[in-house]
Amino acid sequence: MEGFVKRGRMQSSMELIELENISTIYEGERIPAIRGINLRVRQGEFITIIGPNGAGKTTLLETINGLLRYTNGSLRVFGKDVKKFGDEVRKRIGFIPQSTNFPEGAPYLVEDVVLMGRFGKIGPLRFPRAEDWRKVNEALLLAGVESLRKRPIGKLSGGQQQKVMIARAVAQEPSILLLDEPFSNLDFVARSELLELICNLHRAMGLTTLMVVHDFESIPEICTRILLMREGKIVMDGYPCNVLRPEVLNPIYGLHGLSIAPKSYALPIDQELRPRPQKTGSQKVGSL
Amino acid sequence: MNAITSRLVLDTILAASLTGMTCGLMGVFITQMNLSSLGFCMSHAAFAGAALGLLFSINPLPLAMAFSILIAAILGPVAEKARLHANVVMGILFPLTMALGLIFLNLSPGFAMTSSALSLLWGSVLGISRDDIRKLILLAGVMNMLVVAFEKEFRAIMLDRKLAKASGIKTEPFYYLILFLTGVTVALSLRLVGGLLIFTLMTNPASTAYQLFYDIKKILIFSPLLGAIFSLFGILLSFCYNLPIGSSIAIVSTLTFLIAAGLSPKRRVG
Repeated sequence: MEGFVKRGRMQSSMELIELENISTIYEGERIPAIRGINLRVRQGEFITIIGPNGAGKTTLLETINGLLRYTNGSLRVFGKDVKKFGDEVRKRIGFIPQSTNFPEGAPYLVEDVVLMGRFGKIGPLRFPRAEDWRKVNEALLLAGVESLRKRPIGKLSGGQQQKVMIARAVAQEPSILLLDEPFSNLDFVARSELLELICNLHRAMGLTTLMVVHDFESIPEICTRILLMREGKIVMDGYPCNVLRPEVLNPIYGLHGLSIAPKSYALPIDQELRPRPQKTGSQKVGSL
Repeated sequence: MNAITSRLVLDTILAASLTGMTCGLMGVFITQMNLSSLGFCMSHAAFAGAALGLLFSINPLPLAMAFSILIAAILGPVAEKARLHANVVMGILFPLTMALGLIFLNLSPGFAMTSSALSLLWGSVLGISRDDIRKLILLAGVMNMLVVAFEKEFRAIMLDRKLAKASGIKTEPFYYLILFLTGVTVALSLRLVGGLLIFTLMTNPASTAYQLFYDIKKILIFSPLLGAIFSLFGILLSFCYNLPIGSSIAIVSTLTFLIAAGLSPKRRVG
């Protein structure tokens, strides 16, 4: 487990993700799903992306790891152009998609599914070695699914499947973790367990995490920054304490009586060094 | 049994085993990737190609292969452009290939009811030549090598293409390689099993193996094995009762599938 945890102690202000004026249009559509996105993410940040349905949250995540091709702007991850070096970049990004409901009879054992996370790294015409299996064992232990390793993936509950997907992402030894609504269809207990696991991994592995959620209760206390999206744009980018306020969220969600339970959110990872996000016109809620 | 007869029997057994093995292997990818209609569609495309060969009195095999691979080549782009699942597009292409096959046979009245034409539909050992067997041996060897070489990429794509791509695998070349290999397998198997029933040999072994195992690695080993066994028993049935080979294989493999489904350990409670 040392290999995974060691990098957790290395923090820097290096920017891992840089989006400049990014727009993504789905084929056959005229309106971009996301447009004019400017975003810089530094190593170690835990960013939660919120917004109503159709705001472009999933599109933003899948544009960052190159699963969707952006149509305008410039996007660099680890300093590399995602359009040119997509496969190389994706090898270092763990991705948990919106739903992973494998059919009940899916003939894949948990340990094989986790090992698949390393296939990109291993590369074609090479076979998994003892080192790869060691990483799988560590990932299974970290995600708490070691006891399920010989079970078929389709036989597991939704929460267990999500943990396996996290183990798969961990086995990939990622620097960035992208999670797209990882708690959808999970009950309260499974959601709490998974949230705790994500937070522990973020800290222990020194990850840079971007997580899309629908439910404000799922925003963890270690979250350092919130992106609030609407109609394909980031309308607010700030600290949780500034964004998670009824007067900010109510106009975005079209609600009136929203109340949010107070949480003591973590301060930014390098609060002393980092200037607070500037509230430019596009970031102000008042500009909506 | 004289030397010629015994050589014919041995050739048939060898051809059947190799055909069954390759079809059984490709069937795993087709069934697991929900592309069951692909084998169906390709087999009819191969039938149309072979019928065109009969019409112009040229070797039907290259045309069968070309038609079959053409279907694989246009399927992906058409499905993406039309924003439909590949199975729906195959539902559109299948009647077209069948219609073309029948038109080509119809245009060649001298051939329509000959054994050559019928063997394209139902399969025949009489169409198997030494050259075909050499091609089948080559095909089986290449297929096995490719599957072993790219087994991990194929497995990841079978589970989930998007997840495979997200972990840094170049999914497109492997996906198209699967389609291409399926096309080649269908075309080379056409003579033995026939255009109408080749689909049986692509689906039944994989589906039967799937009833017995939860581990895709075991399915990848047992499905080709079952394919070879089904072919051999099909031929035995065909010899004993003078039935078309394709039909015999369909009966043997379907019965085995039904038994496997009934006795499957996956249905066991406790």
